[in-house]
Amino acid sequence: MNSLIKEIKDSIGENDDLLFTEQQLKDLSVVLFGLNSLIDLGPTIKQLEQLGQKNYSNKEKQKQISQLGEIKRNAGEITSLLLDGKLMIAPSPNADFVVSVDPVPVKLNRAIDQITNENTMLGPFVSFNEDSLTNIGVMRKHVVSEKIRVKHFLTGTHNKKELSLIYYEGIVEENLLQTVLKDIKRNSINDLHSIQDVTKMLGITPYSIVPRVKTTEMPSEAAQSLLNGKVILFLDGLPFALILPSVFADMFFLESDKNLTYPLMVSLRSLRIAGTLIALIFPGLYVALVAVNPEVLRLELALSIAQSREGVPYPAFIEIIIMLVVLELIMEASVRLPKSIGPTITMVGGIILGQAAVEAQLVSNLLVIVLAATTIANSTVVGVQNLLSIRLLKYIVLIFSSVFGVLGILAGVFFICAYLAGVSSLGVPYLNFKQSKGDGSHG
Amino acid sequence: MDRSLQVVMMYILTHLGLIFFLYPANIIESTDQGHWIPISLGIIIHIAFVLLYLKGLSFFPGRNIITIYSSFGKVYLILFLLPVFLYFISAAIIIVRAYSEILTIIFLANTPLWALMALLLFIPLFLSIQGVQAIFRTGILVSFLFLPFLLFVLIVSFQNVDVSYLYPIWNNDFSFITKQSYINSFFAISGGFLFLGFVQPEISFQRKKIVIAFAAVIPAFILSVYIPLLTFGKATAETFVFPFVLALDTIALSWIMFDRATVFFLLSLITFIMLFITLVLWKASIIIHHSFPSIKTGYIVAALTIVIYIACLLIPNWQQVQMLFKWNSVLRFYVLFTVPLSICFLGHLSKKKVY
Repeated sequence: MNSLIKEIKDSIGENDDLLFTEQQLKDLSVVLFGLNSLIDLGPTIKQLEQLGQKNYSNKEKQKQISQLGEIKRNAGEITSLLLDGKLMIAPSPNADFVVSVDPVPVKLNRAIDQITNENTMLGPFVSFNEDSLTNIGVMRKHVVSEKIRVKHFLTGTHNKKELSLIYYEGIVEENLLQTVLKDIKRNSINDLHSIQDVTKMLGITPYSIVPRVKTTEMPSEAAQSLLNGKVILFLDGLPFALILPSVFADMFFLESDKNLTYPLMVSLRSLRIAGTLIALIFPGLYVALVAVNPEVLRLELALSIAQSREGVPYPAFIEIIIMLVVLELIMEASVRLPKSIGPTITMVGGIILGQAAVEAQLVSNLLVIVLAATTIANSTVVGVQNLLSIRLLKYIVLIFSSVFGVLGILAGVFFICAYLAGVSSLGVPYLNFKQSKGDGSHG
Repeated sequence: MDRSLQVVMMYILTHLGLIFFLYPANIIESTDQGHWIPISLGIIIHIAFVLLYLKGLSFFPGRNIITIYSSFGKVYLILFLLPVFLYFISAAIIIVRAYSEILTIIFLANTPLWALMALLLFIPLFLSIQGVQAIFRTGILVSFLFLPFLLFVLIVSFQNVDVSYLYPIWNNDFSFITKQSYINSFFAISGGFLFLGFVQPEISFQRKKIVIAFAAVIPAFILSVYIPLLTFGKATAETFVFPFVLALDTIALSWIMFDRATVFFLLSLITFIMLFITLVLWKASIIIHHSFPSIKTGYIVAALTIVIYIACLLIPNWQQVQMLFKWNSVLRFYVLFTVPLSICFLGHLSKKKVY
């Protein structure tokens, strides 16, 4: 009774997609089991049938089966292999071993697709997908070198997932690699579902405004990171590369910029830096100049601003907070909504923000311009995570400037600088001004 | 690794912050003509002691002055480090109080002093808790952001300059040396460079590269005095509390949307002052941490900040600030002279022991 197969059946539980069948492979009678949600059974059996041609004796039969794949005797291991989509073949229902075979899998992954969230003008359009093995393959296509090292780790206790680590031997920063390896091995029982789980596994604080892990769905970005001495993680199920560590420059520098000529690249990157600064400063500047330090402006300008605010019934800070919140809601809503309703929100938002609010004298003309400039400028930053960081950080400047005016803007910027300077993950500071390897090697 | 750039930048930024507000008035007040004489005397003293200090530090590679003094015994610790600590605390109090007063005078007339002082202490507190490397990285980032502004404003500040105010060049009267206002001017000269002895071993730098920093700081000393002098003339400039600020206010640039574009210049100097306060807090905290290693530096910095804040609140007016400047000058000169000299002396001493 207590045979191996019974044990496995018990551990997998009552799953209706657990296939368990005795099968005649021509003359060879075997027991097949596996999860039919992961295995395409028909073609698999067809493939197996080609093997069992002859009339076998019992001993030969066992030998023949064991040649099909790896022999497994441990119930726990077999269970996890089953969950991984392997097919098990046992010679009889109470055999003491099974053979794990790679079956024809059900197609559960999408094909390698175009990048969807990060756009590039000049550069490869291939993107990562949910299958980490495919992603590693894509990476190998991008960096053809015998120095690339790939390591797999099976993580999780309740939810087994494969975490893959890639680095470039010889270029990778040794300290970084060792820390990452140590942390992954130490915390390999952690269940990984999201990037937060991965950062916790690596001992990086989750309470950070700036992203500690750079995510990208562009293989060319990931490839360049490898060459810069960083390590890449792929978590099965996440369609992007997790690049460690994330640094300040990632906010502005895109690898595909290098497909442009030098002056164009430099001006494009400066544009992004300027965009970030504008996104950070403009809302604060508006409040500071309108409410606290109007004398800084030229008289004509100050008057025209005052005129545009005529009839607005609340202080500038409240005015801008209301509009900013509406704007954030619109942005969030347009992400959430299905593509068919999205344009409605854009239109409604555009009309409310652009026209109605001003005409009803709820906000000033200038504020609408400021907000538009802020939002547009904010979007120049590279990467979704960085975009969100900047979106949040601008409120710091805004609050400081509503109290201290123009001084508050500079104090807020200084505060943000101080925050960024204090951030470091895996021993690499976020403000790492030297991009390539070698940081720390000068003693 | 070599972080000379960070150290040089920090040196420049903190000195710029210290120079432009109080230094010009002090110098202009101290003498009637030939202002370059007191300025150059100050610069020479500054350079001499910085070089001496660096020379002394070079005998102890990878060590800061706290460990140097403590390796020679408790007496040195009390004789030299205690005054340094007191100087830091008093300097922090004076700076926070004086600069918040400056801010209300020239810029934020309606903001209460306590709020400004809280701002001037809160951000340095936040930064100094993050540690020395974060402070220096902030220095780099801030210099990228704000130094171009400064350069621009310094260039356009020549707009209203009248060269004839340069004359008479020579002055036989050297009585400025004993004047209180000249002694006060050493606040800008002596305060900023002590950090060079604190940053090792976390941040190592090459001594030679500090000379680059002189190239930026020396023109600042000169311009800060001569721009108001050449704009207004001595007789008028003398009457201002912040001559340089007023000289900048005379600049009219019709092609900028701002009437007082120079405000950005002044306020970025304020951020440099925040950086200076951060450094002071951090230095004071590691001195205490050395004496009481069991207390976390974070708590020390917080406690120091509260003490400084309360002390600042207790100072009622500008006259009191001036008084404090006066009292502080004793400590200032003690620190300016003894620390570099003693470090150099101890360096020679330890070198002899080796042979």
